[in-house]
Amino acid sequence: MVIMSETDVVVVRGLSKSYGGRRVVDGLDLEVAAGEIVGLIGANGAGKTTTVECVQGLRRPDAGWLRVLGLDPATQGERLRGLVGSQLQSSGLPDRLRVGEALQLFAGRRDEMLLEEFGLGGRERGAFASLSGGERQRLFLVLALVNRPRLVILDELTQGLDPSARRGVWAAIDQLRTEGTAVLLVTHELEEAERLCDRVVAMRSGRVLDAGSPAELVDRHGAWATVSFSVPPGSPAVVSPERLGRLPGVREVSSHGGRMNVRGERRAIAHVGAALVEIGWVPPDLSVKVPSLDDALVDLLERAGPNEVAAGVAENTVQPEPIGANR
Amino acid sequence: MSTAMGRLVRAELKLMVREPLTLIFVFVFPVVTMLIIGGSFGTKPSDAFDGANPSQWYVASYLTVVIAATGLIMIPVHLASYRERGVLRRFAAAGFGRWSFALAEAVTGLVAIAGGSAVLLAVAAPVYGLPPLHHPVAVMTGFALGAVAFVAIGVLLGTVLPSARSAQALGMVLFFPSFLLGAGGPPPNAMGSVLRSIAGYLPLSRVTDAVREPWLGIAPATGSLAVVATLAVVATVVAARRSRLVTSAGR
Repeated sequence: MVIMSETDVVVVRGLSKSYGGRRVVDGLDLEVAAGEIVGLIGANGAGKTTTVECVQGLRRPDAGWLRVLGLDPATQGERLRGLVGSQLQSSGLPDRLRVGEALQLFAGRRDEMLLEEFGLGGRERGAFASLSGGERQRLFLVLALVNRPRLVILDELTQGLDPSARRGVWAAIDQLRTEGTAVLLVTHELEEAERLCDRVVAMRSGRVLDAGSPAELVDRHGAWATVSFSVPPGSPAVVSPERLGRLPGVREVSSHGGRMNVRGERRAIAHVGAALVEIGWVPPDLSVKVPSLDDALVDLLERAGPNEVAAGVAENTVQPEPIGANR
Repeated sequence: MSTAMGRLVRAELKLMVREPLTLIFVFVFPVVTMLIIGGSFGTKPSDAFDGANPSQWYVASYLTVVIAATGLIMIPVHLASYRERGVLRRFAAAGFGRWSFALAEAVTGLVAIAGGSAVLLAVAAPVYGLPPLHHPVAVMTGFALGAVAFVAIGVLLGTVLPSARSAQALGMVLFFPSFLLGAGGPPPNAMGSVLRSIAGYLPLSRVTDAVREPWLGIAPATGSLAVVATLAVVATVVAARRSRLVTSAGR
Protein backbone atom coordinates (compact mmCIF):
# COMPACT_ATOMS: atom_id res chain seq x y z
CA MET A 1 0.00 0.00 0.00
CA VAL A 2 1.44 3.35 -1.01
CA ILE A 3 0.64 6.30 1.19
CA MET A 4 -0.15 9.50 -0.68
CA SER A 5 0.01 12.93 0.86
CA GLU A 6 -2.65 15.55 0.26
CA THR A 7 -0.40 17.46 -2.11
CA ASP A 8 0.53 14.45 -4.25
CA VAL A 9 -0.89 14.79 -7.73
CA VAL A 10 1.03 11.96 -9.37
CA VAL A 11 2.44 8.94 -7.57
CA VAL A 12 4.02 6.12 -9.55
CA ARG A 13 5.68 3.08 -8.03
CA GLY A 14 7.40 0.31 -9.92
CA LEU A 15 5.99 1.18 -13.33
CA SER A 16 7.01 -1.26 -16.04
CA LYS A 17 6.01 -1.43 -19.67
CA SER A 18 7.31 -3.55 -22.54
CA TYR A 19 6.65 -3.51 -26.26
CA GLY A 20 7.18 -6.78 -28.07
CA GLY A 21 9.48 -8.14 -25.38
CA ARG A 22 11.53 -4.93 -25.17
CA ARG A 23 11.19 -3.28 -21.79
CA VAL A 24 10.91 0.48 -22.26
CA VAL A 25 9.98 1.40 -18.68
CA ASP A 26 11.52 -0.67 -15.94
CA GLY A 27 10.44 -0.26 -12.33
CA LEU A 28 10.09 3.50 -12.44
CA ASP A 29 9.10 5.60 -9.42
CA LEU A 30 7.86 9.15 -9.79
CA GLU A 31 5.99 11.78 -7.81
CA VAL A 32 4.68 15.18 -8.72
CA ALA A 33 3.15 17.45 -6.07
CA ALA A 34 0.72 20.31 -6.51
CA GLY A 35 2.49 23.46 -7.68
CA GLU A 36 5.57 21.49 -8.65
CA ILE A 37 7.18 21.29 -12.08
CA VAL A 38 8.93 17.96 -12.61
CA GLY A 39 10.99 17.34 -15.73
CA LEU A 40 11.57 13.94 -17.30
CA ILE A 41 14.75 14.02 -19.31
CA GLY A 42 16.78 11.47 -21.17
CA ALA A 43 17.79 10.41 -24.62
CA ASN A 44 15.34 9.13 -27.24
CA GLY A 45 14.06 5.72 -26.15
CA ALA A 46 14.60 6.42 -22.46
CA GLY A 47 10.92 5.72 -21.78
CA LYS A 48 9.81 9.28 -21.01
CA THR A 49 6.86 9.43 -23.39
CA THR A 50 5.67 5.94 -22.46
CA THR A 51 5.78 6.97 -18.81
CA VAL A 52 3.56 10.02 -19.34
CA GLU A 53 1.23 7.97 -21.56
CA CYS A 54 0.79 5.50 -18.69
CA VAL A 55 0.22 8.41 -16.29
CA GLN A 56 -2.56 9.64 -18.56
CA GLY A 57 -4.05 6.20 -19.02
CA LEU A 58 -3.28 6.13 -22.73
CA ARG A 59 -1.24 2.98 -22.22
CA ARG A 60 -1.78 0.20 -19.73
CA PRO A 61 1.25 -0.59 -17.60
CA ASP A 62 2.46 -4.17 -17.43
CA ALA A 63 3.12 -3.68 -13.73
CA GLY A 64 3.24 -0.92 -11.17
CA TRP A 65 1.05 1.22 -8.95
CA LEU A 66 -0.17 4.56 -10.27
CA ARG A 67 -2.44 7.21 -8.85
CA VAL A 68 -3.08 10.49 -10.62
CA LEU A 69 -5.37 12.98 -8.88
CA GLY A 70 -6.46 10.04 -6.77
CA LEU A 71 -7.51 7.98 -9.79
CA ASP A 72 -6.04 4.84 -11.30
CA PRO A 73 -5.15 5.73 -14.91
CA ALA A 74 -5.44 2.10 -16.01
CA THR A 75 -9.06 1.72 -14.97
CA GLN A 76 -10.29 5.31 -14.68
CA GLY A 77 -8.45 6.76 -17.64
CA GLU A 78 -11.43 8.40 -19.33
CA ARG A 79 -12.42 10.24 -16.17
CA LEU A 80 -8.84 11.19 -15.47
CA ARG A 81 -8.10 12.54 -18.94
CA GLY A 82 -10.87 15.08 -18.56
CA LEU A 83 -9.00 16.48 -15.52
CA VAL A 84 -5.55 16.61 -17.09
CA GLY A 85 -4.33 19.10 -19.65
CA SER A 86 -1.82 17.66 -22.07
CA GLN A 87 0.31 18.62 -24.97
CA LEU A 88 1.53 15.38 -26.44
CA GLN A 89 4.39 14.65 -28.76
CA SER A 90 3.41 13.58 -32.30
CA SER A 91 -0.17 14.65 -32.08
CA GLY A 92 -2.02 17.06 -34.30
CA LEU A 93 -5.35 18.52 -35.25
CA PRO A 94 -7.37 18.27 -38.46
CA ASP A 95 -5.92 20.58 -41.11
CA ARG A 96 -9.14 22.44 -41.72
CA LEU A 97 -10.15 22.89 -38.10
CA ARG A 98 -10.01 26.56 -37.16
CA VAL A 99 -8.37 27.84 -33.99
CA GLY A 100 -11.66 29.00 -32.46
CA GLU A 101 -13.34 25.72 -33.39
CA ALA A 102 -10.52 23.77 -31.74
CA LEU A 103 -11.17 25.61 -28.48
CA GLN A 104 -14.89 25.03 -28.85
CA LEU A 105 -14.28 21.33 -29.54
CA PHE A 106 -11.86 20.67 -26.69
CA ALA A 107 -13.24 23.04 -24.06
CA GLY A 108 -16.81 23.70 -25.12
CA ARG A 109 -16.18 27.44 -25.13
CA ARG A 110 -14.09 30.13 -26.72
CA ASP A 111 -11.42 31.85 -24.62
CA GLU A 112 -10.21 34.93 -26.42
CA MET A 113 -8.14 36.08 -23.44
CA LEU A 114 -6.14 32.87 -23.40
CA LEU A 115 -5.61 33.11 -27.16
CA GLU A 116 -4.39 36.68 -26.72
CA GLU A 117 -2.12 35.62 -23.88
CA PHE A 118 -0.42 33.09 -26.17
CA GLY A 119 -0.17 35.38 -29.15
CA LEU A 120 -3.03 33.82 -31.07
CA GLY A 121 -5.40 36.77 -30.86
CA GLY A 122 -6.77 37.48 -34.31
CA ARG A 123 -6.03 33.93 -35.49
CA GLU A 124 -9.35 32.52 -34.30
CA ARG A 125 -10.55 31.88 -37.84
CA GLY A 126 -7.20 30.55 -39.03
CA ALA A 127 -7.17 26.89 -40.06
CA PHE A 128 -4.72 24.62 -38.25
CA ALA A 129 -2.86 23.95 -41.52
CA SER A 130 -2.22 27.68 -41.96
CA LEU A 131 -0.51 28.08 -38.57
CA SER A 132 3.25 28.26 -38.26
CA GLY A 133 5.06 25.66 -36.15
CA GLY A 134 5.25 28.07 -33.24
CA GLU A 135 1.58 28.98 -33.49
CA ARG A 136 0.64 25.29 -33.49
CA GLN A 137 2.67 24.67 -30.35
CA ARG A 138 1.05 27.65 -28.67
CA LEU A 139 -2.39 26.44 -29.69
CA PHE A 140 -1.64 23.02 -28.20
CA LEU A 141 -0.61 24.75 -25.01
CA VAL A 142 -3.82 26.78 -24.98
CA LEU A 143 -5.81 23.57 -25.43
CA ALA A 144 -3.89 21.97 -22.57
CA LEU A 145 -4.59 24.86 -20.25
CA VAL A 146 -8.03 26.03 -21.26
CA ASN A 147 -9.90 23.93 -18.71
CA ARG A 148 -7.62 25.02 -15.85
CA PRO A 149 -6.46 21.46 -15.08
CA ARG A 150 -4.75 20.51 -11.82
CA LEU A 151 -2.15 18.53 -13.75
CA VAL A 152 -0.59 19.53 -17.05
CA ILE A 153 1.55 17.10 -19.06
CA LEU A 154 3.77 18.72 -21.64
CA ASP A 155 5.82 16.57 -24.02
CA GLU A 156 8.48 18.47 -25.98
CA LEU A 157 6.87 21.74 -25.01
CA THR A 158 8.93 24.27 -26.91
CA GLN A 159 10.07 22.18 -29.85
CA GLY A 160 10.10 24.37 -32.93
CA LEU A 161 9.58 27.65 -31.09
CA ASP A 162 11.81 30.67 -31.66
CA PRO A 163 13.63 32.05 -28.60
CA SER A 164 11.09 34.80 -28.02
CA ALA A 165 8.10 32.45 -28.20
CA ARG A 166 9.94 30.01 -25.96
CA ARG A 167 10.41 32.63 -23.27
CA GLY A 168 6.72 33.47 -23.48
CA VAL A 169 5.78 29.83 -22.98
CA TRP A 170 8.19 29.48 -20.08
CA ALA A 171 6.60 32.49 -18.39
CA ALA A 172 3.18 30.85 -18.80
CA ILE A 173 4.46 27.64 -17.20
CA ASP A 174 5.96 29.61 -14.32
CA GLN A 175 2.55 31.17 -13.83
CA LEU A 176 1.01 27.67 -13.56
CA ARG A 177 3.31 26.87 -10.67
CA THR A 178 2.17 29.93 -8.75
CA GLU A 179 -1.44 28.88 -9.31
CA GLY A 180 -0.72 25.48 -7.73
CA THR A 181 -0.92 23.45 -10.94
CA ALA A 182 1.33 20.40 -11.12
CA VAL A 183 3.34 20.14 -14.33
CA LEU A 184 5.01 17.03 -15.73
CA LEU A 185 7.39 18.14 -18.43
CA VAL A 186 9.10 15.83 -20.92
CA THR A 187 11.97 17.55 -22.59
CA HIS A 188 15.26 17.19 -24.38
CA GLU A 189 16.02 20.84 -23.69
CA LEU A 190 18.15 20.89 -20.58
CA GLU A 191 18.15 24.67 -20.52
CA GLU A 192 14.37 24.45 -20.34
CA ALA A 193 14.54 21.92 -17.52
CA GLU A 194 17.02 24.05 -15.59
CA ARG A 195 14.91 27.17 -16.13
CA LEU A 196 11.53 25.65 -15.23
CA CYS A 197 11.81 22.51 -13.15
CA ASP A 198 11.73 22.18 -9.39
CA ARG A 199 12.89 18.63 -9.80
CA VAL A 200 14.40 16.73 -12.69
CA VAL A 201 14.22 12.98 -13.23
CA ALA A 202 16.96 11.70 -15.49
CA MET A 203 16.01 8.48 -17.29
CA ARG A 204 17.85 5.92 -19.30
CA SER A 205 16.57 2.58 -20.62
CA GLY A 206 13.32 3.03 -18.75
CA ARG A 207 14.93 3.53 -15.36
CA VAL A 208 15.63 6.52 -13.18
CA LEU A 209 19.32 7.35 -13.16
CA ASP A 210 18.97 10.14 -10.66
CA ALA A 211 16.46 12.72 -9.51
CA GLY A 212 16.67 15.98 -7.68
CA SER A 213 16.61 19.72 -8.12
CA PRO A 214 18.69 21.03 -11.02
CA ALA A 215 21.23 22.40 -8.52
CA GLU A 216 21.50 19.04 -6.76
CA LEU A 217 22.07 17.22 -10.02
CA VAL A 218 24.70 19.72 -11.05
CA ASP A 219 26.42 19.26 -7.71
CA ARG A 220 26.32 15.50 -8.00
CA HIS A 221 27.19 15.08 -11.66
CA GLY A 222 28.48 18.40 -12.98
CA ALA A 223 31.97 18.71 -14.31
CA TRP A 224 34.38 20.70 -12.13
CA ALA A 225 34.12 24.44 -12.02
CA THR A 226 37.08 26.07 -13.73
CA VAL A 227 38.78 29.36 -12.91
CA SER A 228 41.16 30.58 -15.63
CA PHE A 229 43.46 33.55 -15.82
CA SER A 230 46.65 34.63 -17.55
CA VAL A 231 49.89 34.71 -15.64
CA PRO A 232 52.15 37.17 -17.39
CA PRO A 233 55.91 36.96 -16.77
CA GLY A 234 56.82 38.73 -13.54
CA SER A 235 53.56 37.96 -11.75
CA PRO A 236 53.83 37.54 -7.99
CA ALA A 237 55.61 34.31 -7.26
CA VAL A 238 52.93 33.28 -4.81
CA VAL A 239 50.59 32.43 -7.69
CA SER A 240 52.09 29.05 -8.09
CA PRO A 241 50.27 25.86 -9.07
CA GLU A 242 51.38 24.33 -5.82
CA ARG A 243 49.80 27.05 -3.70
CA LEU A 244 46.58 27.02 -5.69
CA GLY A 245 46.46 23.24 -5.51
CA ARG A 246 46.37 23.43 -1.71
CA LEU A 247 43.27 25.64 -1.62
CA PRO A 248 40.05 23.98 -0.38
CA GLY A 249 38.03 22.31 -3.13
CA VAL A 250 40.74 22.57 -5.78
CA ARG A 251 41.34 19.28 -7.58
CA GLU A 252 43.61 20.12 -10.46
CA VAL A 253 45.81 23.00 -11.52
CA SER A 254 47.35 23.22 -14.95
CA SER A 255 49.14 25.85 -16.95
CA HIS A 256 49.10 26.12 -20.73
CA GLY A 257 50.47 28.95 -22.85
CA GLY A 258 50.77 31.32 -19.93
CA ARG A 259 47.24 30.66 -18.75
CA MET A 260 46.45 29.04 -15.41
CA ASN A 261 43.45 26.72 -15.17
CA VAL A 262 42.21 25.79 -11.72
CA ARG A 263 39.56 23.06 -11.62
CA GLY A 264 37.62 21.89 -8.63
CA GLU A 265 34.40 22.01 -6.69
CA ARG A 266 32.30 25.16 -6.90
CA ARG A 267 33.62 26.40 -3.54
CA ALA A 268 37.09 26.48 -5.07
CA ILE A 269 35.99 29.53 -7.09
CA ALA A 270 35.67 31.60 -3.93
CA HIS A 271 38.93 30.32 -2.46
CA VAL A 272 40.91 31.03 -5.62
CA GLY A 273 39.43 34.52 -5.81
CA ALA A 274 40.17 35.15 -2.15
CA ALA A 275 43.75 33.95 -2.55
CA LEU A 276 44.32 36.28 -5.48
CA VAL A 277 42.83 39.24 -3.62
CA GLU A 278 44.90 38.39 -0.57
CA ILE A 279 48.13 38.70 -2.49
CA GLY A 280 46.87 41.90 -4.07
CA TRP A 281 46.85 40.69 -7.64
CA VAL A 282 43.60 40.42 -9.58
CA PRO A 283 44.09 39.16 -13.12
CA PRO A 284 42.21 41.35 -15.60
CA ASP A 285 41.14 38.38 -17.74
CA LEU A 286 39.94 36.06 -14.99
CA SER A 287 37.04 33.89 -16.14
CA VAL A 288 34.91 31.34 -14.34
CA LYS A 289 33.12 28.41 -15.94
CA VAL A 290 30.42 26.85 -13.81
CA PRO A 291 28.87 23.54 -14.92
CA SER A 292 25.25 23.74 -16.07
CA LEU A 293 22.54 21.11 -15.80
CA ASP A 294 23.29 20.40 -19.42
CA ASP A 295 26.91 19.55 -18.58
CA ALA A 296 25.87 17.51 -15.58
CA LEU A 297 23.25 15.43 -17.33
CA VAL A 298 25.11 14.86 -20.55
CA ASP A 299 27.88 13.53 -18.38
CA LEU A 300 25.47 11.44 -16.31
CA LEU A 301 23.58 10.02 -19.29
CA GLU A 302 26.73 9.20 -21.20
CA ARG A 303 28.55 7.76 -18.24
CA ALA A 304 25.84 5.66 -16.62
CA GLY A 305 25.41 2.07 -17.60
CA PRO A 306 21.94 0.65 -18.15
CA ASN A 307 21.86 -0.92 -14.72
CA GLU A 308 23.12 2.11 -12.86
CA VAL A 309 20.21 3.51 -10.93
CA ALA A 310 20.52 6.13 -8.24
CA ALA A 311 19.94 4.93 -4.76
CA GLY A 312 17.55 6.80 -2.58
CA VAL A 313 15.54 8.36 -5.40
CA ALA A 314 12.31 7.08 -3.98
CA GLU A 315 13.02 7.33 -0.31
CA ASN A 316 10.27 6.78 2.23
CA THR A 317 8.20 4.70 -0.15
CA VAL A 318 6.62 1.36 0.44
CA GLN A 319 6.91 -1.66 -1.82
CA PRO A 320 4.47 -1.21 -4.73
CA GLU A 321 1.55 -3.49 -5.15
CA PRO A 322 1.22 -4.62 -8.77
CA ILE A 323 -1.86 -3.68 -10.74
CA GLY A 324 -1.54 -6.81 -12.82
CA ALA A 325 0.60 -7.86 -15.73
CA ASN A 326 -0.17 -7.60 -19.43
CA ARG A 327 -3.72 -6.47 -19.10
CA MET B 1 -24.94 19.81 -28.41
CA SER B 2 -22.68 20.75 -25.52
CA THR B 3 -21.49 17.27 -24.62
CA ALA B 4 -18.10 16.12 -25.84
CA MET B 5 -19.82 13.76 -28.27
CA GLY B 6 -22.05 16.55 -29.57
CA ARG B 7 -19.11 18.90 -30.04
CA LEU B 8 -17.21 16.19 -31.87
CA VAL B 9 -20.11 15.46 -34.23
CA ARG B 10 -20.58 19.15 -34.98
CA ALA B 11 -16.85 19.64 -35.68
CA GLU B 12 -16.72 16.53 -37.86
CA LEU B 13 -19.72 17.66 -39.91
CA LYS B 14 -18.08 21.04 -40.51
CA LEU B 15 -14.84 19.39 -41.52
CA MET B 16 -16.68 16.99 -43.83
CA VAL B 17 -18.00 19.79 -46.01
CA ARG B 18 -14.55 21.39 -46.13
CA GLU B 19 -12.91 18.20 -47.38
CA PRO B 20 -12.52 18.21 -51.20
CA LEU B 21 -12.24 14.41 -51.42
CA THR B 22 -15.58 14.05 -49.66
CA LEU B 23 -17.28 16.69 -51.74
CA ILE B 24 -16.05 15.13 -54.98
CA PHE B 25 -16.65 11.45 -54.26
CA VAL B 26 -19.78 11.64 -52.16
CA PHE B 27 -21.59 14.65 -53.60
CA VAL B 28 -20.27 15.20 -57.14
CA PHE B 29 -19.08 11.90 -58.60
CA PRO B 30 -22.37 9.98 -58.17
CA VAL B 31 -24.38 12.84 -59.68
CA VAL B 32 -22.11 13.34 -62.69
CA THR B 33 -21.79 9.65 -63.50
CA MET B 34 -25.53 9.10 -63.00
CA LEU B 35 -26.29 11.92 -65.42
CA ILE B 36 -23.92 10.43 -68.00
CA ILE B 37 -24.81 6.77 -67.79
CA GLY B 38 -28.48 7.39 -67.00
CA GLY B 39 -28.80 9.15 -70.34
CA SER B 40 -26.83 6.57 -72.31
CA PHE B 41 -29.47 3.86 -72.74
CA GLY B 42 -32.61 5.88 -73.30
CA THR B 43 -35.85 5.55 -71.44
CA LYS B 44 -37.43 2.60 -73.23
CA PRO B 45 -37.93 -0.38 -70.90
CA SER B 46 -35.48 -3.13 -71.74
CA ASP B 47 -34.91 -6.77 -70.74
CA ALA B 48 -31.29 -5.93 -69.96
CA PHE B 49 -32.69 -3.72 -67.23
CA ASP B 50 -35.18 -6.26 -65.92
CA GLY B 51 -37.91 -4.61 -67.96
CA ALA B 52 -37.36 -1.20 -66.36
CA ASN B 53 -36.74 2.21 -67.86
CA PRO B 54 -32.89 2.33 -68.04
CA SER B 55 -32.66 5.93 -66.84
CA GLN B 56 -34.81 5.19 -63.82
CA TRP B 57 -33.02 1.89 -63.29
CA TYR B 58 -29.83 3.90 -62.83
CA VAL B 59 -31.51 6.48 -60.60
CA ALA B 60 -32.58 3.61 -58.32
CA SER B 61 -29.06 2.16 -58.45
CA TYR B 62 -27.00 5.25 -57.82
CA LEU B 63 -28.00 5.84 -54.19
CA THR B 64 -25.68 2.99 -53.35
CA VAL B 65 -22.81 4.71 -55.18
CA VAL B 66 -23.10 7.40 -52.52
CA ILE B 67 -23.00 4.68 -49.85
CA ALA B 68 -19.91 3.08 -51.38
CA ALA B 69 -18.07 6.39 -51.80
CA THR B 70 -18.70 7.20 -48.15
CA GLY B 71 -17.75 3.79 -46.80
CA LEU B 72 -14.84 2.94 -49.05
CA ILE B 73 -13.22 6.34 -49.57
CA MET B 74 -14.45 9.14 -47.33
CA ILE B 75 -14.38 7.46 -43.92
CA PRO B 76 -11.24 5.32 -44.33
CA VAL B 77 -9.16 8.21 -45.66
CA HIS B 78 -10.44 10.57 -42.99
CA LEU B 79 -9.89 8.15 -40.14
CA ALA B 80 -6.50 6.92 -41.35
CA SER B 81 -5.30 10.50 -41.74
CA TYR B 82 -6.39 11.23 -38.16
CA ARG B 83 -4.45 8.24 -36.91
CA GLU B 84 -1.42 9.09 -39.03
CA ARG B 85 -1.32 12.70 -37.82
CA GLY B 86 -1.95 11.96 -34.16
CA VAL B 87 -5.41 13.56 -34.08
CA LEU B 88 -6.93 10.50 -32.41
CA ARG B 89 -4.15 10.60 -29.87
CA ARG B 90 -5.05 14.18 -29.07
CA PHE B 91 -8.75 13.34 -28.80
CA ALA B 92 -7.97 10.43 -26.48
CA ALA B 93 -5.68 12.57 -24.33
CA ALA B 94 -8.34 15.29 -24.10
CA GLY B 95 -10.76 12.88 -22.51
CA PHE B 96 -13.12 12.14 -25.38
CA GLY B 97 -14.72 8.80 -24.57
CA ARG B 98 -13.44 5.74 -26.34
CA TRP B 99 -16.66 5.41 -28.31
CA SER B 100 -17.22 9.05 -29.04
CA PHE B 101 -14.97 9.33 -32.05
CA ALA B 102 -16.20 6.13 -33.71
CA LEU B 103 -19.79 7.22 -33.09
CA ALA B 104 -19.07 10.69 -34.43
CA GLU B 105 -17.60 9.12 -37.55
CA ALA B 106 -20.64 6.89 -37.94
CA VAL B 107 -23.01 9.84 -37.55
CA THR B 108 -20.96 11.92 -39.99
CA GLY B 109 -20.90 9.06 -42.49
CA LEU B 110 -24.66 8.54 -42.26
CA VAL B 111 -25.26 12.29 -42.65
CA ALA B 112 -22.95 12.31 -45.69
CA ILE B 113 -24.91 9.43 -47.20
CA ALA B 114 -28.20 11.16 -46.51
CA GLY B 115 -26.93 14.44 -47.93
CA GLY B 116 -25.31 12.88 -50.99
CA SER B 117 -28.45 10.86 -51.70
CA ALA B 118 -30.65 13.94 -51.36
CA VAL B 119 -28.48 15.84 -53.83
CA LEU B 120 -28.54 12.87 -56.21
CA LEU B 121 -32.34 12.59 -56.11
CA ALA B 122 -32.75 16.37 -56.41
CA VAL B 123 -30.71 16.35 -59.61
CA ALA B 124 -32.26 13.15 -60.98
CA ALA B 125 -35.88 14.23 -60.43
CA PRO B 126 -36.04 16.98 -63.06
CA VAL B 127 -33.75 15.16 -65.51
CA TYR B 128 -34.90 11.53 -65.52
CA GLY B 129 -37.79 11.57 -63.06
CA LEU B 130 -37.89 9.53 -59.86
CA PRO B 131 -39.23 6.00 -60.32
CA PRO B 132 -42.23 5.19 -58.13
CA LEU B 133 -41.41 3.28 -54.95
CA HIS B 134 -43.09 -0.11 -55.21
CA HIS B 135 -42.03 -1.32 -51.76
CA PRO B 136 -40.94 1.75 -49.78
CA VAL B 137 -40.33 -0.07 -46.49
CA ALA B 138 -38.11 -2.66 -48.15
CA VAL B 139 -36.23 0.08 -50.02
CA MET B 140 -35.68 2.14 -46.87
CA THR B 141 -34.61 -0.95 -44.95
CA GLY B 142 -32.15 -2.00 -47.64
CA PHE B 143 -30.80 1.54 -47.91
CA ALA B 144 -30.43 1.98 -44.14
CA LEU B 145 -28.79 -1.41 -43.59
CA GLY B 146 -26.49 -0.84 -46.56
CA ALA B 147 -25.49 2.56 -45.19
CA VAL B 148 -24.75 1.09 -41.75
CA ALA B 149 -22.78 -1.78 -43.29
CA PHE B 150 -20.60 0.47 -45.42
CA VAL B 151 -20.06 3.05 -42.68
CA ALA B 152 -18.89 0.20 -40.45
CA ILE B 153 -16.62 -1.12 -43.21
CA GLY B 154 -15.24 2.41 -43.59
CA VAL B 155 -14.50 2.70 -39.89
CA LEU B 156 -12.88 -0.73 -39.93
CA LEU B 157 -10.66 0.15 -42.90
CA GLY B 158 -9.74 3.48 -41.34
CA THR B 159 -8.67 1.85 -38.09
CA VAL B 160 -6.59 -0.79 -39.84
CA LEU B 161 -4.81 1.12 -42.61
CA PRO B 162 -1.73 2.99 -41.45
CA SER B 163 -1.93 6.18 -43.51
CA ALA B 164 -4.28 8.37 -45.52
CA ARG B 165 -2.36 7.49 -48.67
CA SER B 166 -2.77 3.75 -48.16
CA ALA B 167 -6.45 4.24 -47.32
CA GLN B 168 -6.95 6.26 -50.48
CA ALA B 169 -5.14 3.66 -52.61
CA LEU B 170 -7.06 0.71 -51.19
CA GLY B 171 -10.29 2.73 -51.19
CA MET B 172 -9.96 3.37 -54.93
CA VAL B 173 -9.15 -0.27 -55.61
CA LEU B 174 -12.25 -1.35 -53.71
CA PHE B 175 -14.52 1.45 -54.88
CA PHE B 176 -14.18 1.40 -58.65
CA PRO B 177 -14.78 -2.34 -59.24
CA SER B 178 -17.67 -2.16 -56.78
CA PHE B 179 -19.03 0.89 -58.56
CA LEU B 180 -18.72 -0.61 -62.05
CA LEU B 181 -19.92 -4.13 -61.24
CA GLY B 182 -22.21 -3.46 -58.29
CA ALA B 183 -24.07 -0.23 -58.91
CA GLY B 184 -23.22 2.25 -61.63
CA GLY B 185 -21.87 0.16 -64.51
CA PRO B 186 -23.56 -2.13 -67.00
CA PRO B 187 -26.61 -4.08 -65.79
CA PRO B 188 -25.85 -7.67 -64.67
CA ASN B 189 -27.95 -9.00 -67.54
CA ALA B 190 -25.52 -7.38 -69.98
CA MET B 191 -22.44 -8.84 -68.29
CA GLY B 192 -20.70 -12.05 -69.22
CA SER B 193 -21.13 -14.96 -66.86
CA VAL B 194 -17.76 -14.49 -65.16
CA LEU B 195 -18.30 -10.82 -64.45
CA ARG B 196 -21.85 -11.49 -63.34
CA SER B 197 -20.60 -14.12 -60.89
CA ILE B 198 -17.97 -11.74 -59.51
CA ALA B 199 -20.55 -8.97 -59.23
CA GLY B 200 -22.81 -11.30 -57.27
CA TYR B 201 -20.19 -11.63 -54.54
CA LEU B 202 -19.60 -7.92 -54.12
CA PRO B 203 -21.22 -6.44 -51.00
CA LEU B 204 -22.24 -3.36 -52.94
CA SER B 205 -24.13 -5.50 -55.50
CA ARG B 206 -26.21 -6.95 -52.69
CA VAL B 207 -26.95 -3.51 -51.26
CA THR B 208 -27.90 -2.26 -54.73
CA ASP B 209 -30.17 -5.27 -55.29
CA ALA B 210 -31.78 -4.70 -51.88
CA VAL B 211 -32.60 -1.10 -52.84
CA ARG B 212 -33.25 -1.23 -56.58
CA GLU B 213 -35.33 -4.37 -56.94
CA PRO B 214 -38.07 -3.47 -54.43
CA TRP B 215 -37.97 0.14 -55.62
CA LEU B 216 -38.65 -0.79 -59.24
CA GLY B 217 -40.90 -3.71 -58.34
CA ILE B 218 -38.54 -6.21 -59.96
CA ALA B 219 -38.38 -8.56 -56.97
CA PRO B 220 -38.58 -8.36 -53.16
CA ALA B 221 -34.81 -9.10 -52.94
CA THR B 222 -35.21 -10.69 -49.52
CA GLY B 223 -32.07 -12.78 -50.07
CA SER B 224 -29.96 -9.70 -50.73
CA LEU B 225 -31.60 -7.91 -47.81
CA ALA B 226 -30.66 -10.77 -45.50
CA VAL B 227 -27.08 -10.68 -46.75
CA VAL B 228 -26.93 -6.91 -46.25
CA ALA B 229 -28.41 -7.21 -42.74
CA THR B 230 -25.82 -9.85 -41.84
CA LEU B 231 -23.06 -7.72 -43.30
CA ALA B 232 -24.27 -4.70 -41.31
CA VAL B 233 -24.24 -6.63 -38.04
CA VAL B 234 -20.88 -8.33 -38.59
CA ALA B 235 -19.17 -5.19 -39.90
CA THR B 236 -20.53 -3.11 -37.02
CA VAL B 237 -19.37 -5.59 -34.38
CA VAL B 238 -15.89 -5.92 -35.87
CA ALA B 239 -15.57 -2.15 -36.44
CA ALA B 240 -16.71 -1.43 -32.89
CA ARG B 241 -14.16 -3.81 -31.42
CA ARG B 242 -11.40 -2.36 -33.54
CA SER B 243 -12.50 1.22 -32.77
CA ARG B 244 -12.47 0.56 -29.05
CA LEU B 245 -8.91 -0.68 -29.31
CA VAL B 246 -7.73 2.18 -31.48
CA THR B 247 -9.52 5.16 -30.02
CA SER B 248 -8.98 4.34 -26.36
CA ALA B 249 -5.23 4.51 -26.91
CA GLY B 250 -5.42 7.29 -29.46
CA ARG B 251 -3.80 5.23 -32.18
